[in-house]
Amino acid sequence: MSTHEVIGKPHQTGSFANYFKDLYTGITTTVKGMWITFRYVWGVKPVSIEYPEVREVLPERARMRLFNDVQNCISCTQCAMACPVDCIYIASEKKPEGAEIKKTSNGQPIRLTLTQFTIDTALCCYCGLCTVVCPTECLTHSHDYEFSQYTIDHMKYDYLAPDVIAWRDRIVKT
Amino acid sequence: MQSRWDIGEPEKPTINTETEQLKSELLTLNMGPQHPATHGVLRIEIWTDSEIVAHAIPHLGYLHRCMEKHAENIDYRGVIPFVDRLDYLASMSMEWTYVAAIEKLLGTEVPRRAELLRIMTAELQRIGSHLMAFGTYALDLGAFSPFLYAFEEREKILRLFEEVSGARLLYNYIWVGGVWNDWTDEQIDRVSAFCDNMEEEAKKYHELVSMNKIFIERTANVGVMSLQDCLDYGASGPVLRGAGMKWDLRKNKPYSLYNEFEFDVPVGTGEVGVIGDCWNRYIVRMKEVVQSIRIIRQVIDKLEPGSVMGKVPKIIKLPKGEIYLRHECPRGELAYHLVSEGDSKTPYRLKVKSPCFTHVSMLPRVAPGQMIADFVATVGSIDIVLGEVDR
Repeated sequence: MSTHEVIGKPHQTGSFANYFKDLYTGITTTVKGMWITFRYVWGVKPVSIEYPEVREVLPERARMRLFNDVQNCISCTQCAMACPVDCIYIASEKKPEGAEIKKTSNGQPIRLTLTQFTIDTALCCYCGLCTVVCPTECLTHSHDYEFSQYTIDHMKYDYLAPDVIAWRDRIVKT
Repeated sequence: MQSRWDIGEPEKPTINTETEQLKSELLTLNMGPQHPATHGVLRIEIWTDSEIVAHAIPHLGYLHRCMEKHAENIDYRGVIPFVDRLDYLASMSMEWTYVAAIEKLLGTEVPRRAELLRIMTAELQRIGSHLMAFGTYALDLGAFSPFLYAFEEREKILRLFEEVSGARLLYNYIWVGGVWNDWTDEQIDRVSAFCDNMEEEAKKYHELVSMNKIFIERTANVGVMSLQDCLDYGASGPVLRGAGMKWDLRKNKPYSLYNEFEFDVPVGTGEVGVIGDCWNRYIVRMKEVVQSIRIIRQVIDKLEPGSVMGKVPKIIKLPKGEIYLRHECPRGELAYHLVSEGDSKTPYRLKVKSPCFTHVSMLPRVAPGQMIADFVATVGSIDIVLGEVDR
């Protein structure tokens, strides 16, 4: 292979008439395109919104930061098993004998005491598989999407912490 | 062709220019990985002779996430969010192909409504993906406003997908046995309104970009991938159709319910430039948008209320066996080779055959002899997504 194969049409020198024809089509097609752009000056509403002054209303099913309502959690660990990236950490212990067994909002008995429920939000891929398997529907995707942190450790949320439980008033609709 | 590992000293291209007589050295130029024209994190090492590309070597792996190995440790449902991230501009098609492979091994029957909704989402996704290709290609060649118009339309599709699945790009919407959520009648009406609007928009794009003399000068006769090359390398999708071959899996090997629909397979005809050049690849995509609109309209006519989820066991365990299943995705033929050992919750092996990988491997073939600016046009015209190439 001594020379590289040059594929495509060879460069055309072009005649005098071709020169003016090219010039004509060049100008007319460009003017046509400019006219389409120019029509956007008037009468077209802007489609972009001025975040953060104006915020988009998220659809009902939007999957943002996870929230676990620990009062309804029965520590079944189904969410941790369904998670493809293993970002849910659950620990629980047996209730002592004779302890009162509370019930969740949809009537399931809480037989175990939840001692840890942590989600590494930085690892979470927001696929929604954990919320689907949840039997008491306590693990849900909230509509919070502004939660940047300075360090990656701060992205781990302990849902038993009082400040995180306080989200409940805002997120869970009764 | 020589292998990319033993290229040695590349020979200087012979171009009929005055500089040929001048003595010049080859210059190594790195394009990427942070170059806007490479559409992701692709690094192309170009050996140039003045402004002529003598040799181009794509370096892959900047977006390698070890997805195939990961899939071997996750249950079948959990892999779906991972296959989303292969081609993040056409996640619906990626999901559908994977799910169809499982369903075929499992023998699941999918309800008709779910199957129609899958076709509708896949075709909407194809429009969205082609709009992205159109917008960024115009952006590569220096036109900014088509990019904005394309994104305005694409946003409508993404909004619909967000309402129905919950996410804008990585949906996890198509599940084994059906789809996650049903579309409401109001959303279907918006789809048909979008189709009407999109037809007008497609005409506008045609006037704005396709027939523009500057655009034609930049793309016609540039980066010609001949039909023989395409067949040799195994190209598919708009690259193969742009080279003049009428090959579309939806038509030639109809899967799902595609044999019920009427649509054409657009091919590059060479009305501008020669067959197989950048312009023909581009125009195939724009014509496919119109065909997708035709399919969506037929889907809407056929839609009947019903269940969207078939009967699937709670824990999916595939019987022993393997399957190689391919679908026509916006960028070409995507295929999964799924091997199941039997009585296991995880796949034994999941091999992804990605169309973009073959298209990237064609770059060293077409690059020699091109100007650098034309090479940018060539890379843009094959419309690669690096998530799929590196996996």
